[in-house]
Amino acid sequence: MSMPTTAERPFTVDRSLLIRRLREVLPAQALLFEEEDLRPYDCDGLTAFRQLPLLVALPEDEVQVQAILRICHELRAPVVARGAATGLSGGATPHPDGVLVALAKLKKIIRVDPVSRTAVVQPGVRNLAVSEAAAPYGLYYAPDPSSQIACTIGGNVAENSGGVHCLKYGLTVHNVLRVRGLSIEGEIVEFGNAALDAPGYDLLALINGSEGLLALITEVTVKLTPKPELAQVVVASFADVRRAGDAVASIIAAGIIPAGLEMMDRRAILAVEPYANAGYDMDAEALLLCESDGTPEEVAEEIGRMTTVLEKSGAAGIRVSQNEAERLRFWAGRKAAFPAVGRLTPDYLCMDGTIPRKHLADMLEAIATLSGKYALRCANVFHAGDGNLHPLIMYDANQPGELERATAFGAEILELSIHFGGTITGEHGVGIEKIDLMAEQFTLAEIGAFHRLKAAFDEHGLLNPGKGVPTLARCREYTLARVGGEQNPTNPMNAPRR
Amino acid sequence: MDSLIDNWTARINDAAGRGGKLAIRGGGSKTFYGGREQGERLDVGAYRGIVAYEPTELVISARAGTPLVELNATLAEKGQWLAFEPPHFAPTATVGGMLASGLSGPRRQAVGAVRDFVLGAKLLNGLGEVLSFGGQVMKNVAGYDVSRLLAGSLGTLGVLLEVSLKVLPLPLAEKSLRFAIDEGTALQKLNQWGGRPLPISASAWHDGILMLRLSGAAAAVAAAERLLAGEGVDAAEAEAYWRSLREQTHAFFAGDAPLWRLSLPSVAPPQGFGATLIEWGGAQRWLRAGDARALRSAAAKAGGHATLFRGDDALKAAVGVFQPLPAPLAQIHRNLKHAFDPQGVFNPGRMYPDF
Amino acid sequence: MQTHLADFIKDTPAGREADAILRSCVHCGFCNATCPTFQLLGDELDGPRGRIYLIKEMLEGQPVTARTQLHLDRCLTCRACESTCPSGVNYHRLYEIGRAVMEQRVPRSLAARATRLLLREALPRRWMFKPAVRLGQLLRPLLPGVLADKVPRPAGARIGGGPQPAAHPRRMVALAGCVQPTLAPNTNAATARVLDRLGIELVEVAGAACCGALRYHLDAREQALDDMRRVIDAWWPELESGRVEGFVMTASGCGGHVREYAALLKHDPAYADKAARIAAMTRDASEVLAAEQPRLLELLRAARAGVGERVAFHSPCTLQHAQKIRGVVEALLTAAGYPLSPVADAHLCCGSAGTYSLTQPVLARQLRDHKLAALHAGSPDLLATANVGCQMHLQSGSTLPVRHWIELIDERLRAAS
Repeated sequence: MSMPTTAERPFTVDRSLLIRRLREVLPAQALLFEEEDLRPYDCDGLTAFRQLPLLVALPEDEVQVQAILRICHELRAPVVARGAATGLSGGATPHPDGVLVALAKLKKIIRVDPVSRTAVVQPGVRNLAVSEAAAPYGLYYAPDPSSQIACTIGGNVAENSGGVHCLKYGLTVHNVLRVRGLSIEGEIVEFGNAALDAPGYDLLALINGSEGLLALITEVTVKLTPKPELAQVVVASFADVRRAGDAVASIIAAGIIPAGLEMMDRRAILAVEPYANAGYDMDAEALLLCESDGTPEEVAEEIGRMTTVLEKSGAAGIRVSQNEAERLRFWAGRKAAFPAVGRLTPDYLCMDGTIPRKHLADMLEAIATLSGKYALRCANVFHAGDGNLHPLIMYDANQPGELERATAFGAEILELSIHFGGTITGEHGVGIEKIDLMAEQFTLAEIGAFHRLKAAFDEHGLLNPGKGVPTLARCREYTLARVGGEQNPTNPMNAPRR
Repeated sequence: MDSLIDNWTARINDAAGRGGKLAIRGGGSKTFYGGREQGERLDVGAYRGIVAYEPTELVISARAGTPLVELNATLAEKGQWLAFEPPHFAPTATVGGMLASGLSGPRRQAVGAVRDFVLGAKLLNGLGEVLSFGGQVMKNVAGYDVSRLLAGSLGTLGVLLEVSLKVLPLPLAEKSLRFAIDEGTALQKLNQWGGRPLPISASAWHDGILMLRLSGAAAAVAAAERLLAGEGVDAAEAEAYWRSLREQTHAFFAGDAPLWRLSLPSVAPPQGFGATLIEWGGAQRWLRAGDARALRSAAAKAGGHATLFRGDDALKAAVGVFQPLPAPLAQIHRNLKHAFDPQGVFNPGRMYPDF
Repeated sequence: MQTHLADFIKDTPAGREADAILRSCVHCGFCNATCPTFQLLGDELDGPRGRIYLIKEMLEGQPVTARTQLHLDRCLTCRACESTCPSGVNYHRLYEIGRAVMEQRVPRSLAARATRLLLREALPRRWMFKPAVRLGQLLRPLLPGVLADKVPRPAGARIGGGPQPAAHPRRMVALAGCVQPTLAPNTNAATARVLDRLGIELVEVAGAACCGALRYHLDAREQALDDMRRVIDAWWPELESGRVEGFVMTASGCGGHVREYAALLKHDPAYADKAARIAAMTRDASEVLAAEQPRLLELLRAARAGVGERVAFHSPCTLQHAQKIRGVVEALLTAAGYPLSPVADAHLCCGSAGTYSLTQPVLARQLRDHKLAALHAGSPDLLATANVGCQMHLQSGSTLPVRHWIELIDERLRAAS
C-alpha cells in the first residue's frame, strides 16, 4: 500500500488560476487554500493515509457544486468528494492536485413523505438524521452502519454501506430509489426515479458503491421502512469462538433470517463494555447478538427458535432484551466497537473482508495465528450473518515499523478472505487502502473492464483518481512483487478466468 | 463446457471482425420483450447446470442456460426459493434470461427485484474476455457492481455465463385476502398499509377487486388477517391467481392488444387509460390501451416511466419499447455499451435503437 | 493517532497530557455529529475532530495564525463531543492546553483584548455587574438589538432575598455565584426553601463568589486560579468544622467548574488536597434532591398541587456533558407533576456557554434560535433549565418565562403550605 506515484499523477493544475476561478463562484468562507486550514482535511477515517489537498471547497448548494465541477473539468483538475469523512478505506483521502469538495453543508432533509414512504435528502444529511426525521411517522431508514450517528447518506451511497441489519433489510443499494448527481462535466444526471425501476441500464445499482468515481451526488431519495412493532435481541455468550461461528450457520440452517446477527470476540468485548455498559459477559470468548423483529407474536416465536438453536450450539449464557432501552444498550456496545478499541490502542486498521459463513471459525483461528506472527493485537467484530469480518488490527503509529506490520497483517487476512471464496471488502470500499489487493481478486481483463466503465462516465479520469481500481501498471507491479514473476502459474493474474 | 465458450468467443471475434451482429438466446421465453431480435442467433442454452449450492450460505450459483424450473426445484428441496418470484413465460426459461430481462414477479413489492438478489455474475464480453464480477457472498463492494448492472441489460453488454443469487427460506405461512373496492380506494389502502409493519407480500387490483397476499410467520400472518378483515381466499385458488399474474396467463393479459407497463410511484393517482391491472402496491400498472406519447408523458409526470411490454414489431419500431432517456443518460448508455461491446456485436436494438 | 510533539512542549506535564489525549483519538468523526458548531458551519475546522487536529499541528510546531484561533474560539466547550466519543478522548483538557499555547502564539487585536478584559473584570464582580445591569435595563430602549438582548428584563415581583437558614442538624453550603444573585436571585432562595422542607439548612459563605469559570474560559488562568482559591479559602472552615454535608450548586456552569478544581489545582501544593476534597463533596442541586427522593415524594404528595404547567426542559451542557447528570431533573419535574414536552436535539448547546454569547454573538444567536425552536416545538407553557447563563440567554429570545427548575419544585411545595 502506498500513495499514488508521480507516474499516476498526470495532472498539471495551475493552482492560482484554479483558486481565482473558484473564488468567482464560491463565497469567501467556502474555499480553503492556506495550509493551516487544509491540514485537518488531510485524511478521512483512515488516518494511515494522509495527503494535503490542493484546495478544499465547501459548497452550500447544487449550483455551487456544479460551478466547481465545470471549472475543474475545464482546467482538468481532479475532484474528490467528501461527506463526514468517516470512511475507513480512504475513499475521501484528498488528491494532491485536486479539489476536495466537502459536502457537509448540503444537509437539508428536503422532504419526508410518509405516504410513499420515501425521503428526499441532500448528500450531507447524516444517516441517523433520516431515521429521526421519519420516526414521527413510524418509519425509519433501514441501513445502519455503525457510524450512523455521523456518516452521511452521500457517503453511504458512494460506499454502498451496510450495517448490522442488512441480512434482512439489505444494503444501501436496496434502500435507495433515486440518486441525483452531477457528471464531471457538471451535467445533472438522475439515476433511478420515484418508481421502483427506471428505463435502461440499472445505473442506480452502479452508482451505489462507486466510491465517488462516476458522479458527484447532490440528492438522494431513500426508501423508508415501517418500524417493526417490536424488536428483541438475544445476547449469547460462548466459551470458544468456533462454537459461536458454528451457531451462526445453525441459525441460518434453521430457516431463520435474523434482523441482525453480530459477533464480537473477547478483545472487542473488553474494549466496548467500559464505554457502553452494555452488560456483556466479560468472561466470554465470543458473543453473538441475534435480533428478531416483527409483531409481538412473531418475535416471541422467533426468539424461541433462536434460543433453542443457540442453546444446542453450546451457548454458555443467553440473555434476551426485556425492553427497548435494554435492546438499545445491547446494540450500543456493538455499534461503538471500532472507536472503543481506541481505548486499547492509539491506532488501528479495520479490515472488511467477507467470506462464506461456514469459514468464520477457520478465519478467526487464522487471525489468532497471524496476530502471533506479526506481534500485534487484533479485536474481532463481525457482521456474522453476512460473513462480513471487521478485524481491528491494533498498532502504534509512533513505533517504527508497526504500521507496516499492521498493513501486512491486514493484507494476509484479505488474501485469506479471497482464499475462502470471499471478497476483500464487504462494505467499506476499496478506496486507497485496498487498491493493490484488487489485483488479487480480479484479473487484468476485469480491471481493464472497470477502467472502460469508469471512462464511460468520466473520460479524463478526474473523479477521485487513484481510488477503487488500480491502474494496470500498478496491478502488474503488485503481482510481480507478490508472486515473483509473470511466469508463475499459481499467479491468478495469469490464469484465464473460467 | 469450456469448448462452448471457445466456440462463442470465436463467433464473437468473427462477428466483431466483419461488423456482424449476434442475437443471444437462452430458452427463448422472453424474446417478445424488448426490441426485435436482429443478427445471427447465438444459442446459449447448452451452457447449463448448477455450479454450487449451499443452503446454509443462502447462495446458489448456476450457469446461465440452467432452466429456471430446474433451479426452483433444487431450491425447493431445501425449503428455499428465489423470493422475487421471477416470471418464466415458458417452461424453457433460463437463469440467464431471468437476469437479462430483469423481470420480477408479484413479491417484488416486498422483497425487491432480481437485481437485489444478484451477488455475482460471469460475462463473456465483446472482446471475447471472460469476466467475473461480484461473488458468492452477501456483501461485496470490490470493483463496480457490474453484476447488478447486468440485470435488465437485455444481453446488450455480453453473454451471461454464470449467476450467483441470494436465496431465502420459503415463508412459513401464507394467506390471501380479497376486498371489493374501487381503484382509488385500493391505491389509498395499499399505500396506507405499506406504511405499517404488515407482512404483505403481494397485491393486485383489477376490475373492482383487490387481492392481497400475506406471508411470513404464522403468528404474523394471522394477526394481519384479523386486522385487515378481508374475505379469505382458498389456498389453491390463491396460488393459481398469483401464478397467473406472474406468468401473465390471467385473462387481463390475453389477446393481441399492446400491453403497456407503467412503473410509477405507488402513490400516483389512477391514470385513467382504461382497463388496468395494478400490482406492487400501486407501483406497477398494466394497461391494454393508450397512446404511447400520452402514456409516456403521464408516466414521466408521475415520476416513473412506461414500457411497451408486448406489442408487434411495427408498433415497437414506431414508438420504441422503453421510455426515451434524457441526453446525458443516453450518452452514458452508449458509452457503457461501448465499454463492454466496442464493436456493437450483441443484441443490437433490443434496448434502444441506437445501440 | 500518530503524534510528534515539538520540543517546546514535549516534556512538560501539559505536553505529556496532550500527547496521551491526542493518541486516544482514532479520528472516527462521531464527535462532529453532535458538535453544535459543526452542525451550523459544516466545516471540519469547526468540529472537535478538526480542532483536535489544529491543536495537534500547533503542538507539533507548525506555524499557527489567527485562522486556528478563529476555529478554537468558536468552540463552545459544551463537551457534547465527549459524551459522544467512544474512544474516551478528554477533549476539554486538550482544548485548554491548546488555548493556553495559542494565547501565547497568536496575539489578539486591541478591541478583542479590551472586550475580553472587560468581561472577565466586570462579570465576576457583583459591585460592577449589578449596577451595569440596572443601567442597561433603564437604557434598553436606546440599546442596539444585539446588546439589548443581552440585558435581562427586570426580574419583576419574584421573591428575592438570600437563603433563609433554619435550624436543622443537616447543613449544606451554596455558592452565591457572580452574576446569579443579580440576574436570578430567586434561584438560591428557592433552593434554600426546598432544602429546608427536606430538613437541610442551606447557607452561603461570604467570600465565596465567583467559581473562577468565567475568567478561566477567557484565558485569564492565573486570575481564575485565584478565584478558585478564594472559594476554597472561604469554604474550608465550613468543611473543617465537620458540620457541612456538601456544597450545593444551583448553576450547573459553576458546578461543572468546581468539580474540576481537583484537576485544575493539582499542581498547587498548598491547594491540591483541599481542592480535591471540595470537588468530591460538590453536588448539583438535582443530585441532592434525587438523594432525598422518598421524603421529597412524600412532601409533593402532601402538597396535592395537581397538574402543573407544561415544561420544556433545557439541560445545560455543563449538566449533561460536563457533569454527566442526565434525566435527573426531568424525573424530578415529572414527579412534581409537571408534564414535560419533548425536545429534539436535546444534546445541543443553546449558545450561551459562559461568555460565548458575548464573544461569538452571531453563532450564539443561531444556536439560541435553534434551541428555542426545539424547546417551543412541543407547545410548553414555560421553559426550565439549570444554569443562569442558559436561563438569561434563552430568555432573551423567548416570550415564555424561562425558570430555574428548582423554582418550579419550590412552587409545588409551597402550594400546600
